[in-house]
Amino acid sequence: MVARIDSTSDRVPVLRRTWVQISIYGAVCLAIFLVPVVLDNDFLLNKYARYLVLGILAMALSLSWGYCGILNLGQALSFGLGSYCMAMALKLRTVPVHTGEGGLPDFMVWNNVQELPWFWAPFYSMPFALFAGIAVPVLLAVLLGWFVFRARITGVYVAIISLAALVVVNLLIIDQQRYTGGFNGITDLAQLEILGMEFDAYSSASYYLVATVLTVCLFAALAITKSKTGLIMQAIRDHEDRVRYFGYDVAHFKIFAFAASAAIAGIAGMLYTIVMEFASPTFLGVPLSLSVVIWCAVGGRQSLLGAMLGAILVTGMQGALSESETFLDTWMLVMGGVFVAVVLFLPKGLAGLVETIVEHLFGQGRAARAATGKPAAGKDVSGTGKKAEEAA
Amino acid sequence: MEFVLQQFFTGLSIASILLLVALGLSIIYGAMGVINLAHGEFVMLGAYTAWALQKFVGLNLLPSLVVIFFVVAILGWIMERGVIRFLYERPLDTILATWGLGVIMQQAVRLAVGGELRYVEMPSVLSHSTSFLGVELSVYRIFIFAVVTALFALTWYLMQRTSIGMKLRAVIQNRDMAACFGINADRIYGLTFAYGAGLAGLAGALVSPLKSVSPEMGTTYVVDAFMVVVLGGVESLLGTVASAVLLGELTGAIAYVQNDTVAKSLALLAIVVLIRFRPQGLFVSKVRA
Repeated sequence: MVARIDSTSDRVPVLRRTWVQISIYGAVCLAIFLVPVVLDNDFLLNKYARYLVLGILAMALSLSWGYCGILNLGQALSFGLGSYCMAMALKLRTVPVHTGEGGLPDFMVWNNVQELPWFWAPFYSMPFALFAGIAVPVLLAVLLGWFVFRARITGVYVAIISLAALVVVNLLIIDQQRYTGGFNGITDLAQLEILGMEFDAYSSASYYLVATVLTVCLFAALAITKSKTGLIMQAIRDHEDRVRYFGYDVAHFKIFAFAASAAIAGIAGMLYTIVMEFASPTFLGVPLSLSVVIWCAVGGRQSLLGAMLGAILVTGMQGALSESETFLDTWMLVMGGVFVAVVLFLPKGLAGLVETIVEHLFGQGRAARAATGKPAAGKDVSGTGKKAEEAA
Repeated sequence: MEFVLQQFFTGLSIASILLLVALGLSIIYGAMGVINLAHGEFVMLGAYTAWALQKFVGLNLLPSLVVIFFVVAILGWIMERGVIRFLYERPLDTILATWGLGVIMQQAVRLAVGGELRYVEMPSVLSHSTSFLGVELSVYRIFIFAVVTALFALTWYLMQRTSIGMKLRAVIQNRDMAACFGINADRIYGLTFAYGAGLAGLAGALVSPLKSVSPEMGTTYVVDAFMVVVLGGVESLLGTVASAVLLGELTGAIAYVQNDTVAKSLALLAIVVLIRFRPQGLFVSKVRA
C-alpha cells in the first residue's frame, strides 16, 4: 500500500488508507445525490450539473497527470470529441427544418452539402454514438500515446505535443464547416432518450444522470489507482527509469493511463453536450484545456476527489461571479494569483493541505491503528461534505 | 521568377516576426530550462507600452523602443526574483506558474485600459513601400527584418564575447561549479530572464503597427514561438534562426497552395513528428557538460 517509491516512511497516512478513502468518496457522492432533494430549481440544477461534468473532466486529468506524471495539456481534445459524438447523434434525432423527416441537418443545407457524409450515418444509432464517444478519444489517445511514449518522450515535450494535437483538431473542426458546423458548432439538438427515459437538460433527470456517471467514473478511477497497474503508474511518475530497470514496459502503462483518462474525458464530453444542449469548438479549445490543469492543480492533482472538487469549486465561483463583467475580470485576476500561490506553496493542492492538517491532528501518538483511523475518517467526511455543499 | 521572389519575401517576413518573438523565449528556455508561458504576455505588454507612450506622451514608436525594452525587462526581472526562482527544481511547474502569471498580466491590462482593440501608428518614415528586384515590399517589414538581424547579432555577441555571457554559459553547464568559481548564479539568471523579457517587449512593440493590440494578442504568439524554439533545439541560437526561417517559408508556401488553417495544422503536425524523432531539436550545439 505504500504508494510512493521514494517514501521512506512505512506508515500509510490516514487519508491514503483504502477504506477511509472509499468512505470519503462515498460521502461526497451521496452529498451530490442529495442536492436535488433540497433544491427544487431546474435552472440551478442544470448549472450544477455543468460544474459536475467539468469535475469529471478534471478527475480524468488527475488520473494521467497526478498518478502517472503525464502532463496532458490537450485534455480538452478527448472531451470535445466525446461532446461532438453525442451532438451528432442528437442532431440526427431532430426533424430538420428544411428537408423534413430523415433529411440533412440544417447547417449542412446552409453549406450546400448534398448528402449525409459517411461518418455521420452510423450516428443514427444511439448505442453506436455512446460507443464512439468513448472509443474515438481512446483510439486517438492510444495512437498518440503509442507514437510518443514508445520513443520515451517525457515531460515538457509530452505537454507540447498534446497541446499541438489539440490545436490541430480544433483548427480542422473549425475549418470543415460543411461537416462540423464550424465556429458555431452543432446546435438545436434533440433530447437524449435512453430506455424510455427522457433527459431534459433542465431537469433533475439529467442531474441524476450526471451524478450517477460521476460516481461510477470516480470509483472506477479509484479502483485503477488501487490496482497493481495503478501502483506501477505511480511508480513511473516518481521514477520512470527505476520501473524500467525492474523490467516493466513503461510505455505500456503510460498508454493505458493516457487512454483511461481519455475515456473518462470522452464520457464527460458526452454529458456536457446533454447538459449544455450544443457542442462547440470551444469545448476543445486551448483556454478550456489549460483551465482543466488549473482546477486540477488547485484541488490537488494527486487526489482524484481533490481534482474533482477543485474543478467544482473554481467553476462554481466563476459562475457565481460571471453576472458582472468587471467581477469576472477581477476574479480571473485573483484566480491567476491563487494559481501561482498554489504552485509555489501547495504543490499537492487543497487536497494536500487537508491531508497535512488531518495527519497533524490524527496522525500522531497513534498506538493502535484501527482505533485512531475512525475519528479521523469521521471528521473528514463531514469536512469534505461541507466543501462539496459550498461548491454546489 | 517575380512570383517566387514575392513568395520568398512573404515567408521571410513571417519568419522575422517569428524569430523576433522566439529569440527571447529561446534564451530563457535554453539558459534556464524555464517554459515561460507568460512570454506572450510580455509581447502584449510591449505593444501596450508602445500604445500608451504614443497616446499619452506623444512619443513616436522608434524612440520609445528603448523605454519599452527597459520597462518590460524590469517586469521580467521582478517576476524571476519573485516567483520563477523558487521553481528551478520543478521545471514542469514553471509551465503552470508562468501561465498563472500570464493570466494576471492579461487581466490587469484588461482592467486597467479595457479589452477593446488598440492601434499603434507606424512611423511615417517607414510607412511606404519600395520596389526591390521587381517586387513591391513594405519598408516597415524590411525594417523589422533589419532589427531582428541586429538583435540576433547583439544577442550572439553578448552570449559569446562578453564576460556576462561567459558566466551565463558557465552557469548553464554546471550551476554549482560556476558558483564555486565566484559567479553569482542568481544574478545571472535574473539578468537573463530580464533580457529575454525585454526582447519580447520589443517584439510586441514592433508588431503593434501591423496587427491590432489586445489583451489576448500574446496567446497566438507564444504557441508559435514555442514551436520555433523546440524545433530549433534548445541552447542553439542558430537553430532558432534556421527553424524560424523554415517555419516561416513553410507556412507561407502552404498557405498559398491551400489555406491558412491547413498550413498551420500541417506545420504543427510536422513539429509533432519532428519532436518524436528528434526531441533535442534539429540543430544542437555540442556542449561538453
